[in-house]
Amino acid sequence: MLESIPTELRIIAFIGAVIVAVVALIALRGEWPKTRLEDHVTKIMMVLLTVGCIEVMLVAIGTIGRVK
Amino acid sequence: MSLTHVQLPASSHIHPPPDTFIKKYVFSLDHKVIAIQYFITAGLFLVFAGLLAELMRVQLMGPNNHVLSVAVFNQAYSLHGTAMVWLVGIPIVTGAFGNLIMPVQIGARDVAFPWLNMLSFWMLPVAGILVFASLLFGAPQAGWTEYPPVSLQLPLGESLSLWCAGVFVIGVSSTITGLNFLVTIVKMRAPGMTYTRMPLFVWATGVTAFLSMIATANLSAALAGLFIQHNFGVPFYDVTRGGAPVLWQHVFWFYSHPAVYILILPAFGIVSEVIPTFVRRPIFGYKAIAYSSAAIGLLSFMVWAHHMFTSGLQHWEQLFFMLLTMVIAVPTGIKIFSWVTTLWRGKIRLDSPLLFVLGFLSTFTLGGITGVMLASVPADAQEHASYFVVAHIHYVLFGGTIFGIFAGLYYWWPKMTGRMLDERLGKWHFWLMYIFFNLTFLPMHWAGLMGMPRRVATYDPMFAGTNLFVSISSFVLAASILIFIYNAYRSARYGEPAGPNPWGARTLEWMIPSPMPYYNFRDVPIVLSGPYDYGKPLPYANISQDLAMTPVR
Amino acid sequence: MAAANAHAVSDAEYAEVSGHRLLGFLFFLISDCVIFGNFIFSYLYLRNAAPLWPPVGIERPYLYLAAVNSIVLFGSGATMHYAMEGMRHDRRSQFIGYTLATIVLGSMFLGGQAYEYTHLLPHTTWAGTTFGASFYTLTGLHGFHVFIGVIFLIVVLLQTLRGTYTQERHFGLTAATLYWHFVDVIWVALFFLFYIY
Repeated sequence: MLESIPTELRIIAFIGAVIVAVVALIALRGEWPKTRLEDHVTKIMMVLLTVGCIEVMLVAIGTIGRVK
Repeated sequence: MSLTHVQLPASSHIHPPPDTFIKKYVFSLDHKVIAIQYFITAGLFLVFAGLLAELMRVQLMGPNNHVLSVAVFNQAYSLHGTAMVWLVGIPIVTGAFGNLIMPVQIGARDVAFPWLNMLSFWMLPVAGILVFASLLFGAPQAGWTEYPPVSLQLPLGESLSLWCAGVFVIGVSSTITGLNFLVTIVKMRAPGMTYTRMPLFVWATGVTAFLSMIATANLSAALAGLFIQHNFGVPFYDVTRGGAPVLWQHVFWFYSHPAVYILILPAFGIVSEVIPTFVRRPIFGYKAIAYSSAAIGLLSFMVWAHHMFTSGLQHWEQLFFMLLTMVIAVPTGIKIFSWVTTLWRGKIRLDSPLLFVLGFLSTFTLGGITGVMLASVPADAQEHASYFVVAHIHYVLFGGTIFGIFAGLYYWWPKMTGRMLDERLGKWHFWLMYIFFNLTFLPMHWAGLMGMPRRVATYDPMFAGTNLFVSISSFVLAASILIFIYNAYRSARYGEPAGPNPWGARTLEWMIPSPMPYYNFRDVPIVLSGPYDYGKPLPYANISQDLAMTPVR
Repeated sequence: MAAANAHAVSDAEYAEVSGHRLLGFLFFLISDCVIFGNFIFSYLYLRNAAPLWPPVGIERPYLYLAAVNSIVLFGSGATMHYAMEGMRHDRRSQFIGYTLATIVLGSMFLGGQAYEYTHLLPHTTWAGTTFGASFYTLTGLHGFHVFIGVIFLIVVLLQTLRGTYTQERHFGLTAATLYWHFVDVIWVALFFLFYIY
């Protein structure tokens, strides 16, 4: 069963990753001028979230990621 | 300096005192009461752990005694180490002294999270019950370090799980305390108290808190791994299924080496407080002592594998850890030099607190030197797991931590209880303890070098004379603590009332009445400069003038 | 220190105590990172020591379901951020809606993990090889944190509905959001370590 759906999953993963990454970057731009400690932590989290989305994008297009 | 722009903390109003017995003495939120709870509970565990040691010394009076079976002897040294490190040493230096003194020294009314503080304390008796309950099923026998596969092989029943659970609980307590103290120091210092105006005990407590918070998490992870292997068969350390016993050593020592710095740094802090007071001089090298504490804290994470030199490490690993271990002796040496220089040609008052500090300086330095000897890989190949190591650890832990604890107890007893301890009894206690400490542990260096292994219930007859001598000395050493217990009792019944500042010291805790009122300071103090400038006026504003004029005894 | 109940203390005191709590909460998250770091070290050590990885007979976890599950979790991080923005701009319905979305997405992530554990790894058990030991311990610990996070979010959502939090006083929400981001970021690392590396 699983052999037939990887392509669908990869497309969902890729599109989802793009959407979430864009949202995270928009949020980052909004947070950028804020100065309190919790704002700095939020900014770092948004960056790392974007990194995670890039990870998933690269996995979805097959560049990285171990299947076997 | 103008005081018109000082911003007082918004959350520093005095709230009503606790009213019921439970709220005052059982589930107290007051850091000073919690400190006393820690002293009493850890003191009880000290007696248990000390008795375990004496039991071992009875067995070791002859080379082939049958006082204890081998299994019971193994349990004795395992619980002795476990209790001394986790139920006595760390709770007293952090939970007791840190709680009692640090908030007052920074001019705060309490720690940042008093409820968490109370929770941290109550985890101590729970942990102690779990650990000692393991005796009912045959306690773990592989030392306080419980290396697998041995720790998993012996017929253990439930006891390894109990041991893991107990140590896990005290680990969580230690982590919470570290977090609490660090937030307190960062956020709740009185106005004007910059980091370089903090007393050195606060510096020591701060670095210790950082270590407690970061290092102890590794212990939790390591124990969890051991627990799930023992109970669910998860093969972290099982070599037959791809696991690695050396992995346990890595994760265990990555915590346990910083742990020994948790044990000693507050003692360094106590020494830094007692010396200026009893020489009435500014401490030499305040910044050196402060920054070297931070350096020791950071370096302590980089030396753990010196406990593993005989475990099959690669050459480059051995070299790396050997060099860094030798390096960590440097900031420690800087402190010793600063303290000795402070004392040099000073007008020294040889009262009990300072006597214990002098005892500390001599024994801890010797222990530090044998530590550098052990840091050398080829030497360690000979000395590892021998009585040389036992001698080293007791010189730094007993000679360092315990003597530091007694120095602090004699120093801050009047502040904590409002009564003085008897000075003659204090001197008897010190001299008996110091002399018989050395008679007990000094011969162990030679026994170790001549080949006597540690953790053995029987030994080669060539060591018989030394061991008999050591055992008898240890009995007197143990008895010497009774002098302190009697002194404490006597002080409670007939002790001379202490004023706010019987020693004529200059840190903030001596500016308020003894014993300390529940709110610490009537008004939040304002700090104008550092605390060790004897000869200059007191560097505080907003402190009642009466307290400032207390004469020196 | 009096509990900084949102109604009983002055603004200045609430702000000051919130500063303490924020630092304390961040220290807690750092120590939690250390726990994960320790298990990650153990995983890498055991993997390095193994002659073959995955060990014989062990299949690799299914990559593409995990990729989709990851996006579900990362998306929940974005929704939680917008929930907080709602509270900061006094738009309660925005906060409630996005928090609900976060809870749903977080639960979906947990569901995906559960499905993976039970259906997609027939030969990999916790007590079998070091692969299972590392994989289930680390992803299980993470899943436990997600579960606690979902509970945390449900609790703060209920508290918000009761009126505990306001635009000016909402430290509990800040803490919940930071915790949720932390859980997200740990997954970034774990996804890399088990599915990519």
